[in-house]
Amino acid sequence: MTPYTSLVDLANSPGSQTDFVGHLDAICSSLGLDYASYASTNPITGHVHAFTTYPDEWKNHYMSERFHLLDPTLRAASRSIAPVDWQRLNQDRDFQSVFNRAHDFGLPQSGVTIPVRGPFGDTGLLSVTSDLTASDWHSHKSKVIQELQTVAVNLHDSVMNSERLTHLLRRAELSSREREVLQWTAAGKSQQDIGDILAISSRTVEVHLRSSREKLGTLTTAQAVGRAISLGLIMPG
Amino acid sequence: MLLIVDALNKHRFGALLDQMYQLRARVFQDRMGWDVNVRHGREIDLFDGLDPAYVLTLNNSYEVTGCARLLQTTGPHMLSDVFHDILDGEPPLRSANLWESTRFCVDRKLLSGGQGTNTVSYTTSELMVGILEYAKSSGITDIITVIDPLMDRILHRSDNAPYDYVGKTADMGKVKALAALIDCSEERIQKVRNFAGITGNIFLPEEEVASALAITNDAVLDPTVAAYCRDQIDAATNERERAAAIALQNALAGVQTGRTRAFDA
Repeated sequence: MTPYTSLVDLANSPGSQTDFVGHLDAICSSLGLDYASYASTNPITGHVHAFTTYPDEWKNHYMSERFHLLDPTLRAASRSIAPVDWQRLNQDRDFQSVFNRAHDFGLPQSGVTIPVRGPFGDTGLLSVTSDLTASDWHSHKSKVIQELQTVAVNLHDSVMNSERLTHLLRRAELSSREREVLQWTAAGKSQQDIGDILAISSRTVEVHLRSSREKLGTLTTAQAVGRAISLGLIMPG
Repeated sequence: MLLIVDALNKHRFGALLDQMYQLRARVFQDRMGWDVNVRHGREIDLFDGLDPAYVLTLNNSYEVTGCARLLQTTGPHMLSDVFHDILDGEPPLRSANLWESTRFCVDRKLLSGGQGTNTVSYTTSELMVGILEYAKSSGITDIITVIDPLMDRILHRSDNAPYDYVGKTADMGKVKALAALIDCSEERIQKVRNFAGITGNIFLPEEEVASALAITNDAVLDPTVAAYCRDQIDAATNERERAAAIALQNALAGVQTGRTRAFDA
Protein backbone atom coordinates (compact mmCIF):
# COMPACT_ATOMS: atom_id res chain seq x y z
CA MET A 1 0.00 0.00 0.00
CA THR A 2 1.30 3.45 -0.80
CA PRO A 3 1.12 6.20 1.82
CA TYR A 4 -1.47 7.89 -0.39
CA THR A 5 -4.39 5.62 0.22
CA SER A 6 -5.69 8.14 2.75
CA LEU A 7 -5.40 11.07 0.36
CA VAL A 8 -8.44 12.67 -1.13
CA ASP A 9 -9.05 11.20 -4.55
CA LEU A 10 -8.94 14.39 -6.56
CA ALA A 11 -10.49 13.11 -9.74
CA ASN A 12 -13.74 12.29 -7.94
CA SER A 13 -14.93 15.83 -8.44
CA PRO A 14 -14.22 17.06 -11.94
CA GLY A 15 -15.40 20.61 -12.46
CA SER A 16 -15.87 21.28 -8.78
CA GLN A 17 -13.62 23.30 -6.50
CA THR A 18 -11.01 20.89 -5.28
CA ASP A 19 -8.61 21.52 -2.43
CA PHE A 20 -5.40 21.33 -4.46
CA VAL A 21 -3.38 23.23 -1.84
CA GLY A 22 -4.52 20.75 0.80
CA HIS A 23 -3.43 17.99 -1.55
CA LEU A 24 0.05 19.56 -1.84
CA ASP A 25 0.21 19.79 1.97
CA ALA A 26 -0.62 16.10 2.21
CA ILE A 27 2.12 15.26 -0.31
CA CYS A 28 4.63 17.27 1.75
CA SER A 29 3.77 15.66 5.05
CA SER A 30 3.72 12.08 3.78
CA LEU A 31 6.99 12.46 1.86
CA GLY A 32 8.90 14.56 4.39
CA LEU A 33 9.12 17.72 2.30
CA ASP A 34 8.84 21.38 3.29
CA TYR A 35 6.94 23.12 0.49
CA ALA A 36 5.28 22.13 -2.76
CA SER A 37 4.03 24.07 -5.77
CA TYR A 38 2.20 23.13 -8.92
CA ALA A 39 1.92 25.08 -12.16
CA SER A 40 0.55 24.37 -15.61
CA THR A 41 -1.06 25.93 -18.62
CA ASN A 42 -3.84 24.20 -20.48
CA PRO A 43 -3.02 24.83 -24.16
CA ILE A 44 -6.60 24.06 -25.18
CA THR A 45 -8.45 26.42 -22.86
CA GLY A 46 -5.51 28.76 -22.17
CA HIS A 47 -6.16 28.54 -18.42
CA VAL A 48 -3.19 28.89 -16.11
CA HIS A 49 -3.21 26.81 -12.94
CA ALA A 50 -0.87 27.57 -10.07
CA PHE A 51 -1.00 26.82 -6.38
CA THR A 52 1.53 26.48 -3.65
CA THR A 53 2.03 25.86 0.04
CA TYR A 54 4.65 28.63 0.25
CA PRO A 55 4.00 31.35 2.85
CA ASP A 56 1.97 34.35 1.67
CA GLU A 57 4.87 36.84 2.00
CA TRP A 58 6.91 34.86 -0.51
CA LYS A 59 3.93 34.34 -2.83
CA ASN A 60 3.24 38.07 -2.88
CA HIS A 61 6.87 38.98 -3.39
CA TYR A 62 7.22 36.39 -6.16
CA MET A 63 4.19 37.73 -8.02
CA SER A 64 5.06 41.41 -7.56
CA GLU A 65 8.58 40.79 -8.88
CA ARG A 66 7.09 38.79 -11.76
CA PHE A 67 9.56 36.00 -10.97
CA HIS A 68 7.40 33.49 -12.85
CA LEU A 69 8.72 35.02 -16.08
CA LEU A 70 12.32 34.04 -15.33
CA ASP A 71 12.02 31.26 -12.76
CA PRO A 72 14.08 28.43 -14.34
CA THR A 73 12.25 25.81 -12.28
CA LEU A 74 9.32 26.65 -14.56
CA ARG A 75 11.03 27.73 -17.78
CA ALA A 76 13.81 25.14 -18.08
CA ALA A 77 12.30 22.23 -16.20
CA SER A 78 9.21 22.07 -18.41
CA ARG A 79 11.43 20.90 -21.30
CA SER A 80 13.02 18.01 -19.44
CA ILE A 81 11.58 14.49 -19.40
CA ALA A 82 13.33 13.67 -16.10
CA PRO A 83 12.89 15.37 -12.72
CA VAL A 84 15.21 18.39 -12.60
CA ASP A 85 17.13 18.81 -9.37
CA TRP A 86 17.59 22.51 -8.68
CA GLN A 87 21.31 21.88 -8.40
CA ARG A 88 21.29 21.53 -12.15
CA LEU A 89 19.84 25.03 -12.51
CA ASN A 90 21.82 26.94 -9.93
CA GLN A 91 24.51 28.19 -12.33
CA ASP A 92 21.77 30.03 -14.18
CA ARG A 93 21.77 33.76 -13.35
CA ASP A 94 17.98 33.82 -13.36
CA PHE A 95 17.98 31.03 -10.80
CA GLN A 96 20.18 33.09 -8.54
CA SER A 97 18.05 36.22 -8.83
CA VAL A 98 14.95 34.25 -7.81
CA PHE A 99 16.49 31.96 -5.22
CA ASN A 100 18.80 34.40 -3.47
CA ARG A 101 15.60 36.25 -2.60
CA ALA A 102 13.93 32.99 -1.56
CA HIS A 103 16.81 32.46 0.83
CA ASP A 104 16.20 35.92 2.33
CA PHE A 105 12.66 34.77 3.05
CA GLY A 106 14.05 31.79 4.94
CA LEU A 107 12.96 29.29 2.30
CA PRO A 108 14.86 26.06 1.58
CA GLN A 109 17.36 25.92 -1.29
CA SER A 110 17.20 22.22 -2.17
CA GLY A 111 14.45 21.08 -4.45
CA VAL A 112 13.37 19.14 -7.47
CA THR A 113 10.83 19.88 -10.20
CA ILE A 114 8.89 16.98 -11.73
CA PRO A 115 7.70 17.78 -15.25
CA VAL A 116 4.59 15.95 -16.44
CA ARG A 117 3.71 15.77 -20.11
CA GLY A 118 0.06 15.25 -20.93
CA PRO A 119 -1.50 13.95 -24.14
CA PHE A 120 -2.53 17.35 -25.57
CA GLY A 121 0.74 19.28 -25.32
CA ASP A 122 -0.05 20.21 -21.73
CA THR A 123 2.81 20.25 -19.25
CA GLY A 124 2.44 20.30 -15.49
CA LEU A 125 5.22 21.06 -13.03
CA LEU A 126 5.30 19.80 -9.46
CA SER A 127 8.10 21.41 -7.45
CA VAL A 128 9.03 20.33 -3.95
CA THR A 129 11.63 21.75 -1.60
CA SER A 130 13.51 20.59 1.44
CA ASP A 131 15.79 22.24 3.99
CA LEU A 132 17.95 19.12 4.27
CA THR A 133 21.69 19.47 3.62
CA ALA A 134 22.79 18.67 0.08
CA SER A 135 23.88 15.10 0.85
CA ASP A 136 20.85 14.28 3.02
CA TRP A 137 18.61 15.74 0.32
CA HIS A 138 20.24 13.56 -2.31
CA SER A 139 19.52 10.36 -0.38
CA HIS A 140 16.03 11.46 0.68
CA LYS A 141 15.16 12.35 -2.89
CA SER A 142 16.19 8.94 -4.18
CA LYS A 143 13.77 7.36 -1.68
CA VAL A 144 10.74 9.46 -2.65
CA ILE A 145 11.32 10.15 -6.35
CA GLN A 146 9.24 7.21 -7.57
CA GLU A 147 6.22 8.28 -5.44
CA LEU A 148 6.73 11.88 -6.53
CA GLN A 149 6.44 10.88 -10.18
CA THR A 150 3.18 9.06 -9.46
CA VAL A 151 1.60 11.89 -7.44
CA ALA A 152 2.79 14.50 -9.96
CA VAL A 153 0.98 12.79 -12.84
CA ASN A 154 -2.12 12.17 -10.72
CA LEU A 155 -2.20 15.82 -9.66
CA HIS A 156 -1.65 17.11 -13.18
CA ASP A 157 -4.38 14.85 -14.60
CA SER A 158 -6.76 15.96 -11.85
CA VAL A 159 -6.10 19.63 -12.55
CA MET A 160 -6.59 19.16 -16.29
CA ASN A 161 -9.76 17.13 -15.64
CA SER A 162 -11.11 19.91 -13.42
CA GLU A 163 -11.75 21.81 -16.66
CA ARG A 164 -14.90 20.66 -18.37
CA LEU A 165 -13.57 20.68 -21.93
CA THR A 166 -10.38 18.82 -21.13
CA HIS A 167 -12.34 16.37 -19.02
CA LEU A 168 -14.44 15.49 -22.06
CA LEU A 169 -11.36 15.06 -24.27
CA ARG A 170 -9.46 12.96 -21.78
CA ARG A 171 -11.55 9.80 -21.81
CA ALA A 172 -9.90 6.85 -20.14
CA GLU A 173 -8.89 4.51 -22.95
CA LEU A 174 -8.02 1.13 -21.52
CA SER A 175 -6.52 -1.60 -23.69
CA SER A 176 -8.21 -5.00 -23.70
CA ARG A 177 -5.28 -6.34 -21.64
CA GLU A 178 -5.76 -3.59 -19.03
CA ARG A 179 -9.49 -4.35 -18.83
CA GLU A 180 -8.72 -8.06 -18.47
CA VAL A 181 -6.30 -7.42 -15.61
CA LEU A 182 -8.81 -5.13 -13.85
CA GLN A 183 -11.59 -7.67 -14.39
CA TRP A 184 -9.58 -10.42 -12.69
CA THR A 185 -8.65 -7.98 -9.90
CA ALA A 186 -12.35 -7.25 -9.39
CA ALA A 187 -12.85 -11.01 -9.10
CA GLY A 188 -10.38 -11.01 -6.21
CA LYS A 189 -7.38 -12.55 -7.95
CA SER A 190 -3.85 -11.62 -6.86
CA GLN A 191 -1.25 -10.19 -9.20
CA GLN A 192 0.53 -13.55 -9.28
CA ASP A 193 -2.72 -15.42 -10.05
CA ILE A 194 -3.56 -13.01 -12.85
CA GLY A 195 -0.10 -13.47 -14.33
CA ASP A 196 -0.61 -17.25 -14.31
CA ILE A 197 -4.11 -17.00 -15.80
CA LEU A 198 -3.06 -14.68 -18.62
CA ALA A 199 0.37 -16.30 -19.09
CA ILE A 200 2.22 -13.03 -18.54
CA SER A 201 4.74 -12.14 -15.82
CA SER A 202 3.42 -10.69 -12.58
CA ARG A 203 5.52 -7.58 -13.25
CA THR A 204 3.61 -7.11 -16.53
CA VAL A 205 0.38 -7.33 -14.53
CA GLU A 206 1.76 -4.59 -12.27
CA VAL A 207 2.65 -2.39 -15.27
CA HIS A 208 -0.88 -2.77 -16.65
CA LEU A 209 -2.40 -1.98 -13.24
CA ARG A 210 -0.17 1.09 -12.89
CA SER A 211 -1.22 2.29 -16.32
CA SER A 212 -4.93 1.60 -15.61
CA ARG A 213 -4.78 3.52 -12.33
CA GLU A 214 -3.32 6.52 -14.10
CA LYS A 215 -5.72 6.44 -17.02
CA LEU A 216 -8.61 6.29 -14.54
CA GLY A 217 -7.10 9.10 -12.46
CA THR A 218 -6.78 7.07 -9.28
CA LEU A 219 -3.93 6.30 -6.91
CA THR A 220 -5.07 2.86 -5.72
CA THR A 221 -6.11 -0.29 -7.55
CA ALA A 222 -9.33 -0.52 -5.52
CA GLN A 223 -10.36 2.95 -6.68
CA ALA A 224 -9.42 2.04 -10.26
CA VAL A 225 -11.65 -1.06 -10.17
CA GLY A 226 -14.53 1.02 -8.81
CA ARG A 227 -14.07 3.69 -11.44
CA ALA A 228 -13.79 1.12 -14.25
CA ILE A 229 -17.04 -0.53 -13.13
CA SER A 230 -18.85 2.82 -12.94
CA LEU A 231 -17.64 3.70 -16.45
CA GLY A 232 -18.86 0.34 -17.73
CA LEU A 233 -15.33 -0.73 -18.76
CA ILE A 234 -15.50 -3.94 -16.73
CA MET A 235 -18.26 -5.99 -15.12
CA PRO A 236 -18.81 -5.84 -11.35
CA GLY A 237 -16.75 -8.68 -9.75
CA MET B 1 31.35 6.43 -21.10
CA LEU B 2 27.98 8.12 -21.34
CA LEU B 3 26.43 11.54 -21.59
CA ILE B 4 22.77 12.54 -21.20
CA VAL B 5 21.76 15.28 -23.63
CA ASP B 6 18.33 16.88 -23.22
CA ALA B 7 16.63 20.23 -23.83
CA LEU B 8 18.50 21.80 -20.91
CA ASN B 9 22.01 21.17 -22.21
CA LYS B 10 21.68 20.46 -25.94
CA HIS B 11 22.93 23.95 -26.88
CA ARG B 12 26.34 22.74 -25.68
CA PHE B 13 26.31 19.41 -27.54
CA GLY B 14 24.88 20.18 -30.98
CA ALA B 15 27.88 18.52 -32.63
CA LEU B 16 27.18 15.25 -30.77
CA LEU B 17 23.50 15.28 -31.70
CA ASP B 18 24.49 15.82 -35.32
CA GLN B 19 26.73 12.72 -35.16
CA MET B 20 23.85 10.84 -33.56
CA TYR B 21 21.40 11.74 -36.35
CA GLN B 22 23.96 10.51 -38.91
CA LEU B 23 24.50 7.28 -36.99
CA ARG B 24 20.74 6.71 -36.89
CA ALA B 25 20.52 7.23 -40.67
CA ARG B 26 23.25 4.61 -41.25
CA VAL B 27 21.71 2.11 -38.86
CA PHE B 28 17.97 2.43 -39.36
CA GLN B 29 17.83 3.24 -43.07
CA ASP B 30 21.01 1.80 -44.58
CA ARG B 31 21.51 -1.29 -42.45
CA MET B 32 18.09 -2.22 -41.14
CA GLY B 33 15.97 -0.87 -43.97
CA TRP B 34 13.40 0.76 -41.70
CA ASP B 35 10.97 3.12 -43.34
CA VAL B 36 12.47 6.27 -41.75
CA ASN B 37 12.88 9.80 -43.02
CA VAL B 38 16.50 10.66 -43.88
CA ARG B 39 17.48 14.11 -45.13
CA HIS B 40 21.04 15.29 -45.75
CA GLY B 41 22.30 12.03 -44.25
CA ARG B 42 20.48 12.57 -40.94
CA GLU B 43 17.55 10.60 -39.58
CA ILE B 44 15.32 13.02 -37.67
CA ASP B 45 11.62 12.58 -36.92
CA LEU B 46 8.97 14.65 -35.18
CA PHE B 47 9.69 13.06 -31.79
CA ASP B 48 13.14 14.67 -31.86
CA GLY B 49 11.25 17.96 -31.76
CA LEU B 50 9.52 17.04 -28.49
CA ASP B 51 12.56 17.59 -26.25
CA PRO B 52 13.39 13.93 -25.58
CA ALA B 53 16.41 12.88 -23.53
CA TYR B 54 19.22 11.17 -25.43
CA VAL B 55 21.60 8.71 -23.85
CA LEU B 56 24.87 8.78 -25.82
CA THR B 57 27.88 6.50 -25.53
CA LEU B 58 31.15 8.25 -26.37
CA ASN B 59 34.59 6.79 -27.13
CA ASN B 60 37.85 8.24 -25.79
CA SER B 61 37.85 10.86 -28.56
CA TYR B 62 34.35 11.97 -27.51
CA GLU B 63 32.78 10.58 -30.69
CA VAL B 64 29.26 9.15 -30.52
CA THR B 65 29.40 5.33 -30.63
CA GLY B 66 25.80 4.60 -29.62
CA CYS B 67 22.54 6.29 -28.74
CA ALA B 68 18.99 5.86 -27.49
CA ARG B 69 16.06 8.28 -27.17
CA LEU B 70 13.79 8.48 -24.13
CA LEU B 71 10.30 9.94 -23.81
CA GLN B 72 7.63 9.94 -21.10
CA THR B 73 4.64 7.68 -21.78
CA THR B 74 2.20 10.18 -20.20
CA GLY B 75 2.50 12.45 -23.25
CA PRO B 76 3.08 11.95 -26.98
CA HIS B 77 5.54 9.15 -27.77
CA MET B 78 6.11 6.64 -30.58
CA LEU B 79 3.91 3.83 -29.28
CA SER B 80 1.02 6.24 -28.78
CA ASP B 81 1.38 8.02 -32.10
CA VAL B 82 3.28 5.98 -34.68
CA PHE B 83 3.69 2.31 -33.85
CA HIS B 84 -0.02 1.45 -34.06
CA ASP B 85 0.73 -1.81 -35.82
CA ILE B 86 2.65 -3.17 -32.85
CA LEU B 87 -0.24 -2.47 -30.50
CA ASP B 88 -2.78 -3.86 -32.96
CA GLY B 89 -5.02 -0.82 -32.55
CA GLU B 90 -4.99 -0.97 -28.75
CA PRO B 91 -4.32 2.18 -26.69
CA PRO B 92 -0.75 2.22 -25.30
CA LEU B 93 0.36 1.91 -21.69
CA ARG B 94 0.51 5.23 -19.87
CA SER B 95 2.40 5.55 -16.63
CA ALA B 96 4.40 8.10 -14.61
CA ASN B 97 6.91 5.35 -13.89
CA LEU B 98 7.27 4.06 -17.45
CA TRP B 99 9.52 5.61 -20.10
CA GLU B 100 9.71 4.69 -23.76
CA SER B 101 13.11 4.01 -25.32
CA THR B 102 13.43 4.20 -29.12
CA ARG B 103 16.18 4.44 -31.77
CA PHE B 104 18.54 2.28 -29.72
CA CYS B 105 21.68 1.61 -31.79
CA VAL B 106 25.47 1.37 -31.75
CA ASP B 107 28.02 2.20 -34.43
CA ARG B 108 29.32 -1.14 -35.75
CA LYS B 109 31.76 0.54 -38.12
CA LEU B 110 33.38 2.79 -35.53
CA LEU B 111 33.55 -0.09 -33.06
CA SER B 112 34.65 -2.87 -35.43
CA GLY B 113 38.00 -4.34 -34.45
CA GLY B 114 37.93 -2.32 -31.24
CA GLN B 115 39.37 -3.59 -27.96
CA GLY B 116 38.19 -3.60 -24.36
CA THR B 117 35.49 -1.00 -23.85
CA ASN B 118 35.57 -0.12 -27.55
CA THR B 119 33.48 -3.04 -28.82
CA VAL B 120 29.92 -3.48 -30.05
CA SER B 121 29.11 -5.85 -27.21
CA TYR B 122 30.51 -3.64 -24.40
CA THR B 123 28.95 -0.47 -25.83
CA THR B 124 25.54 -2.12 -26.19
CA SER B 125 25.58 -3.19 -22.54
CA GLU B 126 26.93 0.18 -21.40
CA LEU B 127 24.17 2.01 -23.26
CA MET B 128 21.60 -0.28 -21.68
CA VAL B 129 23.01 0.25 -18.17
CA GLY B 130 23.06 4.02 -18.83
CA ILE B 131 19.36 4.02 -19.76
CA LEU B 132 18.44 1.91 -16.73
CA GLU B 133 20.47 3.95 -14.23
CA TYR B 134 19.29 7.30 -15.57
CA ALA B 135 15.66 6.10 -15.54
CA LYS B 136 15.92 4.56 -12.08
CA SER B 137 17.35 7.76 -10.59
CA SER B 138 14.38 9.60 -12.15
CA GLY B 139 11.83 7.42 -10.34
CA ILE B 140 11.15 5.19 -13.36
CA THR B 141 10.50 1.50 -12.67
CA ASP B 142 10.15 0.10 -16.20
CA ILE B 143 11.16 0.85 -19.79
CA ILE B 144 9.12 -0.05 -22.83
CA THR B 145 11.37 -0.27 -25.85
CA VAL B 146 10.70 -0.71 -29.55
CA ILE B 147 13.31 -3.07 -30.93
CA ASP B 148 13.84 -5.45 -33.85
CA PRO B 149 14.27 -9.22 -33.47
CA LEU B 150 18.05 -8.89 -33.83
CA MET B 151 18.28 -6.48 -30.88
CA ASP B 152 15.97 -8.82 -28.97
CA ARG B 153 18.50 -11.64 -29.51
CA ILE B 154 21.36 -9.36 -28.45
CA LEU B 155 19.48 -8.54 -25.22
CA HIS B 156 18.94 -12.24 -24.53
CA ARG B 157 22.62 -12.95 -25.14
CA SER B 158 23.78 -10.15 -22.81
CA ASP B 159 21.92 -11.42 -19.75
CA ASN B 160 19.38 -8.65 -20.28
CA ALA B 161 16.33 -10.45 -21.71
CA PRO B 162 13.07 -8.44 -21.62
CA TYR B 163 10.72 -9.78 -18.95
CA ASP B 164 7.77 -9.52 -21.32
CA TYR B 165 6.44 -8.13 -24.61
CA VAL B 166 3.43 -5.95 -25.35
CA GLY B 167 1.29 -6.21 -28.48
CA LYS B 168 2.63 -8.14 -31.46
CA THR B 169 5.60 -8.20 -33.82
CA ALA B 170 4.88 -5.78 -36.66
CA ASP B 171 6.40 -5.16 -40.10
CA MET B 172 8.65 -2.10 -40.33
CA GLY B 173 9.80 -2.10 -43.93
CA LYS B 174 12.42 -4.80 -44.47
CA VAL B 175 12.37 -5.99 -40.87
CA LYS B 176 10.04 -6.47 -37.94
CA ALA B 177 9.68 -4.49 -34.72
CA LEU B 178 8.31 -5.38 -31.30
CA ALA B 179 7.73 -3.65 -27.95
CA ALA B 180 9.62 -5.17 -25.02
CA LEU B 181 9.39 -4.47 -21.29
CA ILE B 182 12.57 -4.08 -19.23
CA ASP B 183 12.65 -3.38 -15.49
CA CYS B 184 14.97 -0.69 -14.11
CA SER B 185 15.88 -2.81 -11.10
CA GLU B 186 19.20 -2.97 -9.29
CA GLU B 187 19.30 -6.74 -10.02
CA ARG B 188 19.12 -6.20 -13.78
CA ILE B 189 21.63 -3.35 -13.70
CA GLN B 190 24.09 -5.58 -11.79
CA LYS B 191 23.52 -8.51 -14.16
CA VAL B 192 24.27 -6.44 -17.26
CA ARG B 193 27.24 -4.75 -15.56
CA ASN B 194 28.64 -8.17 -14.62
CA PHE B 195 28.06 -9.57 -18.09
CA ALA B 196 30.04 -6.76 -19.76
CA GLY B 197 32.52 -6.10 -16.93
CA ILE B 198 31.27 -2.54 -16.35
CA THR B 199 32.41 -1.06 -13.03
CA GLY B 200 32.05 2.28 -11.29
CA ASN B 201 30.40 5.47 -12.53
CA ILE B 202 29.79 5.44 -16.28
CA PHE B 203 28.49 9.01 -16.69
CA LEU B 204 30.89 11.68 -17.94
CA PRO B 205 30.77 15.12 -16.32
CA GLU B 206 29.06 17.54 -18.69
CA GLU B 207 31.90 20.05 -18.24
CA GLU B 208 34.53 17.54 -19.32
CA VAL B 209 32.74 16.77 -22.60
CA ALA B 210 31.98 20.43 -23.31
CA SER B 211 35.59 21.52 -22.88
CA ALA B 212 36.89 18.55 -24.89
CA LEU B 213 34.57 19.51 -27.76
CA ALA B 214 35.71 23.14 -27.52
CA ILE B 215 39.35 22.03 -27.91
CA THR B 216 38.43 19.96 -30.97
CA ASN B 217 36.76 23.04 -32.41
CA ASP B 218 39.83 25.13 -31.64
CA ALA B 219 42.04 22.68 -33.55
CA VAL B 220 40.02 22.97 -36.75
CA LEU B 221 39.25 26.67 -36.60
CA ASP B 222 41.37 29.31 -38.28
CA PRO B 223 43.40 30.95 -35.42
CA THR B 224 41.81 34.40 -35.94
CA VAL B 225 38.31 32.89 -35.92
CA ALA B 226 39.17 30.74 -32.88
CA ALA B 227 40.40 33.80 -30.98
CA TYR B 228 37.26 35.74 -31.93
CA CYS B 229 35.06 32.89 -30.69
CA ARG B 230 36.95 32.67 -27.40
CA ASP B 231 36.57 36.43 -26.89
CA GLN B 232 32.86 36.22 -27.59
CA ILE B 233 32.42 33.35 -25.12
CA ASP B 234 34.45 35.15 -22.43
CA ALA B 235 32.58 38.42 -22.98
CA ALA B 236 29.16 36.82 -22.53
CA THR B 237 27.32 38.35 -19.58
CA ASN B 238 24.65 35.70 -19.19
CA GLU B 239 23.94 32.05 -19.95
CA ARG B 240 21.98 32.87 -23.09
CA GLU B 241 24.76 34.96 -24.64
CA ARG B 242 27.31 32.32 -23.70
CA ALA B 243 25.21 29.59 -25.33
CA ALA B 244 24.86 31.68 -28.49
CA ALA B 245 28.61 32.30 -28.64
CA ILE B 246 29.35 28.59 -28.21
CA ALA B 247 26.75 27.69 -30.84
CA LEU B 248 28.42 30.11 -33.26
CA GLN B 249 31.81 28.54 -32.56
CA ASN B 250 30.42 25.04 -33.12
CA ALA B 251 28.72 26.11 -36.33
CA LEU B 252 31.92 27.71 -37.68
CA ALA B 253 33.93 24.62 -36.76
CA GLY B 254 31.36 22.54 -38.64
CA VAL B 255 31.74 24.70 -41.75
CA GLN B 256 35.53 24.52 -41.69
CA THR B 257 35.59 20.72 -41.49
CA GLY B 258 33.00 20.40 -44.21
CA ARG B 259 30.46 19.11 -41.73
CA THR B 260 27.11 20.70 -42.37
CA ARG B 261 24.59 20.93 -39.64
CA ALA B 262 21.05 19.92 -40.43
CA PHE B 263 19.97 20.61 -36.91
CA ASP B 264 20.70 23.80 -35.06
CA ALA B 265 20.72 23.22 -31.32
